[in-house]
Amino acid sequence: MSGSKLDVVLKDLSIGYNGIPVVSDINVTLPAGKISVILGGSGCGKSTLLKHMLKLHPVLAGEIRIGGKNILELNRHAWACLKLRLGLLFQDGALLGSLPLGDNVALPLKEHTRLDKKTIQDMAVAKLALVGLANYTHLYPNQLSGGMRKRAGLARAMVMDPDILFCDEPTSGLDPINSVELDHLLLELKDRFNITIVVVSHDLASMRAIADHVVMLGDGRVLFDGSMQDLEKTTDPYLRRFLDRIAEERTSPRLKALPLDPSMLKLNCAKYMASYGERE
Amino acid sequence: MNRVSAHCRSRQKRPMISKEEMQTPPSSALRPFISMGEWGLPILSEMGAMFLFFLHAVSLIFSSITQFPKAVRQTYFIGVKSISVIALIGLFTGMVMGMQLYFALSLFGADGFLGSGVALSMVRELAPVLTAIMITGRAGSAMTAEIGVMRISEQIDALEIMGINPMAYLVSPKMTACVISFPILTCFFNLIAMFGGWLTGVKMLGANEGVYFYRVQQSLGFEDIYGGFLKSLVFAVVVCTVSCYNGYFTHLRKDGVGPEGVSQATTHAVVMCCVLILVSDFIMTSLLW
Repeated sequence: MSGSKLDVVLKDLSIGYNGIPVVSDINVTLPAGKISVILGGSGCGKSTLLKHMLKLHPVLAGEIRIGGKNILELNRHAWACLKLRLGLLFQDGALLGSLPLGDNVALPLKEHTRLDKKTIQDMAVAKLALVGLANYTHLYPNQLSGGMRKRAGLARAMVMDPDILFCDEPTSGLDPINSVELDHLLLELKDRFNITIVVVSHDLASMRAIADHVVMLGDGRVLFDGSMQDLEKTTDPYLRRFLDRIAEERTSPRLKALPLDPSMLKLNCAKYMASYGERE
Repeated sequence: MNRVSAHCRSRQKRPMISKEEMQTPPSSALRPFISMGEWGLPILSEMGAMFLFFLHAVSLIFSSITQFPKAVRQTYFIGVKSISVIALIGLFTGMVMGMQLYFALSLFGADGFLGSGVALSMVRELAPVLTAIMITGRAGSAMTAEIGVMRISEQIDALEIMGINPMAYLVSPKMTACVISFPILTCFFNLIAMFGGWLTGVKMLGANEGVYFYRVQQSLGFEDIYGGFLKSLVFAVVVCTVSCYNGYFTHLRKDGVGPEGVSQATTHAVVMCCVLILVSDFIMTSLLW
């Protein structure tokens, strides 16, 4: 069981690709031992932020502090040690395609511990049992459904008993029952093992079920940073629309902005096909 | 040339280039050098990056005890699974060499030297080069595609987050396997090719069997075998480095992204391996003999 708590502090952080910022001036604290949900519309930079938090991409400016240490200043060895206390669930699982499920989950244990084969196998099966996949250890990732791959990815992320678990869209692509079960699993992990969980999501139902702390991104900046209760009470028009799933008007502003005759949006393919046939 | 030297002199007097000078178009005399630089510098830069990539991979070969089983698995894939292809290519190359050399040598009544011809051409040149090219096609392309797919599907990122060095996990075992497999397969190619030469030269065309094997034994010196061995080692390093490098940096390619990037990387790696094998073969032949 993991005893120590780690928090994540982002200070004046700007992230982006090739020098072009995606989200700027991020100043948030993701508290230790809680579930923080990073929320926002599609393409607002949630997954980008998650990957930058784990140094998978270079940040443009600012600090990322995990457990008080600025990870951008850590040397290679210190960062390698800290990484063993972190787990990441990728959006599509990112399981190694050449290994069966059991070996995929056991891989971190094989690489970082000197446990015997039997113990490693038992631990991998136990973690897979936690996500309901104990009977699928022999299958390869391409033989599994998207949801199963995601659950297997979660088992792999948890196999080293991390102090912080990062999850990128954990419930997307899951059916409602599996989605709720995954929410329960995350809550159980938080309560039982006292770990910090950072979830990137735009699933409102899931967020309401698990979040202690919410960070909302939009317009290239942080729109909200606070508790779940504060978010529910917000009167900010954009946040309210997001939370209550209300579109501004019946016609989407994106459609209104199109410089085309609206009738062009519905192409009459049959007509074109007919004229093609006549030409033939 | 006068313009060039004048330009050089002005540069010597004024080491700092003014903004106006930078904005003015270069003189026509400098244009060939500029285009040569534009063409050559990225290639040199890529070669340098590949060399650093190779050094990094080598430095991680003995990084952990778990490297050994991975290297064994890769040796099985690169070495053992290539045996049948190498045997086939070696046999037919030897048969063709036996036939062609017999026809050429018999014109001068020198068909007794058939064994020398087959043995020297195989051991010094054809066996290392053809083995390397065959393994490039069979295993090199597979290495690039495998690592490239892992890159675009975030599997390499996943390894990094799990605290597993992707270079140590993916590239170093392949390097070990190539360095072990290439010389053994080259040796195997030599033996099969000499057998092929014997089949056509002796059994089909009637050259003397005893003379054939006597000439093989007599003409081959230590430096020939050592040279072929050295070549196979260099080719092993070239093929593994180029193939893995192209796969590992698939995501940085400008000529294609996603699956198209992987296909471009694979094609590029195979072409580059073949070119570098032939270029390094020429350089080593010039230096060794």
